[in-house]
Amino acid sequence: MELLNKIFIKLGQLDRRFIFILIGLSVLIPLLRPDWINIPIKTTSNSRIVFEELNSLKSGDKVLLSFEYGASTKPEIHPMSVAVLQHLFSKGIKVYTVPLWPEGLMMAKFAIEEVVSSNLFKVKEHIDYVSLPYKAGGEIIIRGIATDLRSIFTQDINNTLLSEIPMMNGVNNISDFDFVFDLSAGVPGNAEWVQFACDEYNIPLSSGCTSIMVTDAIPYVESGQIRGILAGMPGAAEYEQIVFEYLNKNRNNKYLNEKVSILPGKATSRMSAQSIAHLLMVVFIIFGNISYYLTRRDK
Amino acid sequence: MVEIIGVWCAVLLTLSIFSYLYGDNPFYKAAEHIFVGVSAGYIFTITFWDTIWPNLFGRLFPTIVQAGFDFDASYIFPLILGVFMLFRLSKKYDWLSRISIAYIVGMMAGLKFYVFLNSNLLTQIKSSAINLSGSYLSIINEFIVLVGVISGLVYFFFSKEHTGAVGKVSRIGVYFLMIKFGASFGFAVMGRISLLIGRFEELIEYSSFKYYYSTPAILVLMIIVLTYWSIKNTNINENN
Repeated sequence: MELLNKIFIKLGQLDRRFIFILIGLSVLIPLLRPDWINIPIKTTSNSRIVFEELNSLKSGDKVLLSFEYGASTKPEIHPMSVAVLQHLFSKGIKVYTVPLWPEGLMMAKFAIEEVVSSNLFKVKEHIDYVSLPYKAGGEIIIRGIATDLRSIFTQDINNTLLSEIPMMNGVNNISDFDFVFDLSAGVPGNAEWVQFACDEYNIPLSSGCTSIMVTDAIPYVESGQIRGILAGMPGAAEYEQIVFEYLNKNRNNKYLNEKVSILPGKATSRMSAQSIAHLLMVVFIIFGNISYYLTRRDK
Repeated sequence: MVEIIGVWCAVLLTLSIFSYLYGDNPFYKAAEHIFVGVSAGYIFTITFWDTIWPNLFGRLFPTIVQAGFDFDASYIFPLILGVFMLFRLSKKYDWLSRISIAYIVGMMAGLKFYVFLNSNLLTQIKSSAINLSGSYLSIINEFIVLVGVISGLVYFFFSKEHTGAVGKVSRIGVYFLMIKFGASFGFAVMGRISLLIGRFEELIEYSSFKYYYSTPAILVLMIIVLTYWSIKNTNINENN
């Protein structure tokens, strides 16, 4: 027992760099050898709600996809963007992307390029999707989209006038959209969409956000102001899995290219690394607390 | 070739930031400064060309800018307020920038007041009520939420000393807050690990022959430089 106490006290004094190395290895090994560890993903109700909300939309419906993340949060949010775009395109829904963060412009471009270049969907720019440019202002831009989109945006990212884009006909404010999906990593984000547009104009809103934002967004989800939420990388992996199953089931869908194979998303393969790192963190926390207790008791 | 250069830069900057785990060093400092500079430059450029140029100058000089807007003389006021903001750089006229700041504060306060009242106060109060027509489980769930809301609010009520019944209710509020902080911490850890996974995945991808083994090559180079730098620093410290 005495020996065990000494071991725990020594563990409490461990150089933090060893902990960094162990965390690094716990992430690196599952990524290098994905066949060694395969932890199944269970779909949560919030991810299921997001899917059902988007799935209830009809062909030709208009969805505003808001990009509020950058390179730093790309691993968490980007797989969601791709999965949501795949889901929307597979149903023939018109997608309007709008970046509210400077980097969101590039993220929207990358997500669209990734989905379009896969050739899985029969989509064309200005017919099935349109990319609006970045405008500085955050909440003010959301308010502007809610009241008069044309007073802020007159061109898309390729400088084509909105009046010359067929799918922009009749799109003047938030009420002309059937759904808003927000991909956010901070402010402005889902809270601002709730406050400045969707609550007041009664437009359904769902969100995919970083893990750190989830506890702040959950009250909106519980009250129905946000319809379901994709929470961080696990949320992205769950949504990828649901969409993957949906696309395989609807293989003969007229919006899908039959000759192109459907590939699983990136977030799913990352979940083993995430789970192992979490387990290690839990072990560290338990050992740290025992060590702290023993050190304090000896004093 | 451009892609290869980009990949090598990305790997060098990622490993430079990671090198902070060893300690503060020139690689980390350089990467940090590059990040600040590039971010500022990128945001400035994109804000000017995507917002100021089309939305402001596009309305004041529509024939030159051709952003699809008609001439609107009222946009002279935002231009003046914007110029006033730049006077922050002048010691003599920096008071002019306060006019612009006052406009922003006033406008945002008015806008936020309404939306916050509507979305965060009224709707949240409504959703914390118990729906007695629901199932037993949902009633229990909503009851817990209501207890959490009331006890949490009591904890932040400072006009009465937290003793007796008020103290007990506020104590329950503390437990709810602790659960919230625990959940936030868990989610924060999850987020940070996700970002680490993202970086590692790219570093693994860039280790291949396609990218001329950029990750191992830069890693070895950095270890050599850092070892030399560390030995040199130790010698200087010993001599001093």
